[in-house]
Amino acid sequence: MGGAEPAGLLFPGSGEMSARMREHPWGDTPMGAPDAWPASLRTAVRICLTSRFPMIVWWGPELRFLYNDAYLPLLGTNHPALGKPGERVWTEIWHIIGPMLESVMATGEATWSEDLLLPLIRHGYLEETYWTYSYSPLHDDDGAVRGVFTAVSDTTERVIGERRLAVLQDLGAQAGNARSVAEACGLVAEVLARAGRDVPFGAVYLRRPDGDGFELAATGDPDAGAAAFVQGAAGWPVEEAVRTGEPVTVADVRDRFPPLPAGGWESPPAEAVVLPLAGETGAEPIGAVVLAATAGRTLDDAYASFLALVARQIAALVNAAIAYQDQQRRAEELAELDRAKTAFFSNISHEFRTPLTLIMGPLQELRASLGDADERTRTELDVVHRNGLRLGKLVNTLLDFSRIEAGRMQAAYEPVDLAAVTADLASVFRSAVDRAGLAFEVDCPPLPEPVYIDRGMWEKVVLNLLSNALKFTFDGAIRVRVRARDGHAVVTVADTGVGVPEHEIPRLFERFHRIENARSRSNEGSGIGLALVQELVGLHGGTITAASRPGEGTAFTIALPFGAAHLPAASIVPAGSGEALPAGADPYVQEALRWLPDGAQPEPAYGGEVQAAGPALAARVLIADDNADMRQYLARLLEAAGYEVTAVTDGRAALDAVRADPPDLVVSDVMMPRMSGLQLVAALRGDRRTAGTPVLLLSARAGQEASIEGLEAGADDYLVKPFSAAELLARVRANVQLARLRNHHARWRTALVDSLQEAFFVVDADGSVIEINAAFADILGYGPEGLPYAFRHPWWPDPDADPEGFALFTQVYERLLETGKGSFTYPARHRDGHQVWLAASFNPVTDPDTGATLVVGTFRDVTADHYAVQRETATAALSLRLSEAGSLADALTGALGELRGLWNARRVVAALFTPDGAEPAVTATGPDAVGWDGLDPALRAELTALRDRPPLSPAGTGVTLEHPGGLLAVHIEPHRGRPFTEEDRTLLALLSGRLAQGLHRVHQIDQQRETALTLQRAILGPADLPDGFAVRYEPATPPLEVGGDWYDTVRLPDGRIGIVVGDCVGRGLAAATVMGQLRSACRALLIQDARPSAALVALDHFAASIPGAFCSTVFCGVLDPATGELTYSSAGHPPGILTHPDGTVLMLDQARALPLAARPGRPRPEATCSMPPRGTLLLYTDGLVERRRRPLSAGIDQAGAAVQAGRTAPLDELAGQIMARLAPEEGYDDDVALLIYRHPAPLDVAFPAESGQLAPVRSALRDWLGACGLAPRQIQSVLVAAGEACANAIEHGYRDSPGSTVRMRVSATADDLYLAVEDSGTWRPPRPEENAHRGRGLPLMRAMMNRVTVLHEATGTTVDMHTRIGS
Amino acid sequence: MTTPLTLALSRRGDGRRVLTAVGEIDMSNVARFAAELAGTSDGAPLVVDLTGVGYLDSAGLAALFAHAAHVELVATPLLEPVLTVSGLTTLLTVHGLDGAGRDGDGRDGAAPEG
Repeated sequence: MGGAEPAGLLFPGSGEMSARMREHPWGDTPMGAPDAWPASLRTAVRICLTSRFPMIVWWGPELRFLYNDAYLPLLGTNHPALGKPGERVWTEIWHIIGPMLESVMATGEATWSEDLLLPLIRHGYLEETYWTYSYSPLHDDDGAVRGVFTAVSDTTERVIGERRLAVLQDLGAQAGNARSVAEACGLVAEVLARAGRDVPFGAVYLRRPDGDGFELAATGDPDAGAAAFVQGAAGWPVEEAVRTGEPVTVADVRDRFPPLPAGGWESPPAEAVVLPLAGETGAEPIGAVVLAATAGRTLDDAYASFLALVARQIAALVNAAIAYQDQQRRAEELAELDRAKTAFFSNISHEFRTPLTLIMGPLQELRASLGDADERTRTELDVVHRNGLRLGKLVNTLLDFSRIEAGRMQAAYEPVDLAAVTADLASVFRSAVDRAGLAFEVDCPPLPEPVYIDRGMWEKVVLNLLSNALKFTFDGAIRVRVRARDGHAVVTVADTGVGVPEHEIPRLFERFHRIENARSRSNEGSGIGLALVQELVGLHGGTITAASRPGEGTAFTIALPFGAAHLPAASIVPAGSGEALPAGADPYVQEALRWLPDGAQPEPAYGGEVQAAGPALAARVLIADDNADMRQYLARLLEAAGYEVTAVTDGRAALDAVRADPPDLVVSDVMMPRMSGLQLVAALRGDRRTAGTPVLLLSARAGQEASIEGLEAGADDYLVKPFSAAELLARVRANVQLARLRNHHARWRTALVDSLQEAFFVVDADGSVIEINAAFADILGYGPEGLPYAFRHPWWPDPDADPEGFALFTQVYERLLETGKGSFTYPARHRDGHQVWLAASFNPVTDPDTGATLVVGTFRDVTADHYAVQRETATAALSLRLSEAGSLADALTGALGELRGLWNARRVVAALFTPDGAEPAVTATGPDAVGWDGLDPALRAELTALRDRPPLSPAGTGVTLEHPGGLLAVHIEPHRGRPFTEEDRTLLALLSGRLAQGLHRVHQIDQQRETALTLQRAILGPADLPDGFAVRYEPATPPLEVGGDWYDTVRLPDGRIGIVVGDCVGRGLAAATVMGQLRSACRALLIQDARPSAALVALDHFAASIPGAFCSTVFCGVLDPATGELTYSSAGHPPGILTHPDGTVLMLDQARALPLAARPGRPRPEATCSMPPRGTLLLYTDGLVERRRRPLSAGIDQAGAAVQAGRTAPLDELAGQIMARLAPEEGYDDDVALLIYRHPAPLDVAFPAESGQLAPVRSALRDWLGACGLAPRQIQSVLVAAGEACANAIEHGYRDSPGSTVRMRVSATADDLYLAVEDSGTWRPPRPEENAHRGRGLPLMRAMMNRVTVLHEATGTTVDMHTRIGS
Repeated sequence: MTTPLTLALSRRGDGRRVLTAVGEIDMSNVARFAAELAGTSDGAPLVVDLTGVGYLDSAGLAALFAHAAHVELVATPLLEPVLTVSGLTTLLTVHGLDGAGRDGDGRDGAAPEG
């Protein structure tokens, strides 16, 4: 094919390059005129010109350069370069891309380069640019690689962007690492040194401590001597930046300073920015930073904002260090204060009694006198009273100890009825025990003699024991028993409480020892009660022991000797002189009552009743304390100071509250049931979400060790009871501020991360996603509430619905977990199910807290880009496929294949609805052809429904488009579960539009081609050959079906057959037109005069008048099919080959003369030969036998051998064998015409089924067998066998359908004879009893022939027989 | 239309009757052949001379089988395969299959075997 296309079609569009290409003088270039360009080049140029993506076509050995408008910006000042050799266009990068292009040209395999650094001058300076190039081969019409097709995308922005983000992340990762300004500056210097590509030079200047001027604090380049630059007018404008608070750009860096470090680029920086470093909110700038811009990038807005972010990060790092130093200083001051306080309280604790007395006394009076006061006042007074009692009790206990230790305990032992005294004391506790729901058994029968006790001390002993029992007993009973035994009064206080583990029993009486984790009604308690009891019992000369089993209970047994002999005489007093009972019981009972449930009253809200004092920090504080009074007191205090307060009763509740909604500060008691304050701190710190919540611990346990324990657990501060309201408020305030300061970076980081346009996420070593930002949630639909997202995350593509996507994702994730870095584009599934394409990059980082390796990734939603590229690619592929199609059917099949591949569909089915309403023609992908009836009824319905839709508007997974023959409904069967999205439908609409255009174009070509083929076939030769002939024809230049060679057979009026094989010079269309004329002429001449020589002489004259017919060669013969006599004449044609059945080969090389028109008018010779029976004649053109570097005779011998080898094959099979055996490896490269004849031609007679026909048929068969060279005896055998078969056939014909026809066919190869008799009747099995003679027919046939097969079918019976000739 | 066949009844010098057939015998004309055989069949021996018959099919064989008891055949080797395969040679005497010793006025015309 070929032909000119209008320039507008070849170079479509109105763009600059289209115009340039149309006007380009192609004819003057080595590429030649576009008319002569290969189709692939024209297609590539069209795709290039119509694409919005930068594309290049490199063509020819010099890789001449064709490009589109989109490529113009990339080409910069190199434009215009149309048609120039590639090396002259891209001289500066030819060493990089030249070899890649050459490789594609050499191997024909596509290649690509990703993020290729190409220093380019495109905007007047040498620029750092990155490109992703793909190189695909372009073939010419002969399939040779003649050019390269390149699609280009500019990835500079992405590569630079990612690198800048990495610098910011590097800086961000330093947060919290520096403990001093110097350290912070050191870290900044290290980061800047690593970031040379983006910040080739950086220097931090901070205000001198004395406030006078600035000094160099850090520089990324220690050798730069940057300090020298700060001074004077020629230095960095640091003062100006700090004064104005605005960045100052220095555009003449190279003039002002010696060359700065180039950061790996080829020239040193030309521009720099001096940026002020902001102080804490509202404060003066603390200094400035000089950041130079690399010469490889222009200092544009994006670069400037990047440098501004760097400056902000540096300022944040320095400010954090300053804050940290301040915090350290304050903490040291507070610690000093604590030490002084501890000493103070220790020294004056004994002084408490006086003020306590002065409190309690008036308080008693107040309570009495205000008995009818309002509820609130009484409640307040009760609180004061209770805690006064408790404090007094504690102070007293402590004083008791110090007295005991100092030996100054003043005891007064008087003889008492111990049973009665003890019972009285016990009764004080009855109400508390009752309220606790416990049984209280007091079993105190009178003792035989009095016991000497100090009433006050005994009271403490008994009350302490009862208090203890109540505290640890939740059900069952408490028993008090007094007995006399072995000269002792034995008092037992037993309970059915939680009990004490055996190993704890020896330590029960240790001072300040508390049993850890024991379940109790309260964690209040100093751990000195039992120690005091033991001391007191000891003073009485008695002993105390404990017996206990966990879960069963505890029993304390006191044994006091009767009498007074064991007591100091000075301390003995008469009976009745001691205090009245039970003076000191109140604190114990009041305390115990507070442990018990008081009707589940809600915690009183104090918020509205206490005036806010001082400036409120709008902060939320969570209080955790098991002591209701303390809880209420703290709440009141903090609410009054303006805090929002929530209060809970233990550590567990506190933990839940923090997790639900983290407060600004947690104030927690240390000792609490369920979960202690220390456990709470540990739990909070162990959870990433709550690790940052500050905790202030309150404890009654004084001393350095306790506070260290608290701080080690991770508490931010530690306050020992008792404490003043002012102190508490100061600590709370300091901690809230400190925490805010400390969290400032985290918050700033979170804000920065959240403000990123790109999605951001962090993956831990297990593959779980543990942090994400807002963009992440936007793109994938999964927000931070679901964190952490364990591997495999919910956004993985469905392995069933989207196996390729799943495989790609898996691959990416494996790479991520393996190497932790890289850039990938892959699909993911949005929460709502739609597919999202992500362009992601990963980098490994080390968690500064744990040292664990994490992966930080960012990604963009490139779904739109992806689909745009997919559309471009799919459209280009479809266009290419359509342009390659040879027919309408090819085009449709190919296009459906493309669609199937594009969607990885199971099948694509198209049905063509023609206007005449005929059954739709179905085309489907897949190996099996299907018809309309073979389709699933549901699919048929769907296709029919599609027909009624407007063209090119997809519905479901189908679309309708206009086909030259009618409406084409196309249905895509996606893989099960693979969703077909709106994007897919858009693409389908686009492609079906292309397909419709393509089909119409192919249809036009088809019609032209059909016409051409009809004409060609008319030229070529007879469609129906006489019997005994077989032909082959192979044109050298497909798709043309004719060439310069021809064969012809002509039935002459006298029954003979003219045979012609000829060969015109040249090939292709020109030769074919000459051939057609010669063929027709020769045919006419033979009919007029059946002498080959005469025909050729006349043809000489005719040929002389046709340009291009000169020197054509022709073999012209006339064959008598009856006798096998062949008369022939050759006009320069290769000799015919005659093969005898015995294998002898004879060349028909007589009667040879010059090719046509060489000497018109000369007579031509003629020769005769006789075809032997079963001999084979082979005529051919030189394409069959002529090979380079081989004599023609070798080819002719080979052809003779091929005929000989196939002499037993049927004729048509033989023709195929010869073509196959002689074909060169790479196929015939010249036209080939081949004609064979085997003598005699097969006999084929059809006769009416009448017995009278038998004799003439037999006669014809006898003659034919004679011509076939069979011996008379074998002739007779064949005649008998054939006669029996024919007689049978006639019988059948008579019986069932009179007048029907019997057909006999006989053919021979060199060695075999085949005979077939067909009738249209039903076979009659041998029935000798009915007709004796008929039963002998079949045995006779079998006896006469080698093989007989009888095939009965509904349509008739065929008898096939075979015999070896000569047997 | 039937296949050409002439049938002639004669008597040899020894007095035996001879039915001479010339032409081809197939299903189209076998009825005539069979009728002639039946007409001459009166129990006396009959010589059927097939020397001039170039083709004999199973229908003709059947006619001969019917009279095998009192018939002798004269034939050329051309017919030998048919006569042998059908088993007729085992029921009656056939002269001339070896190409010699033909009786009576047998015609010369059979092609020699080759």
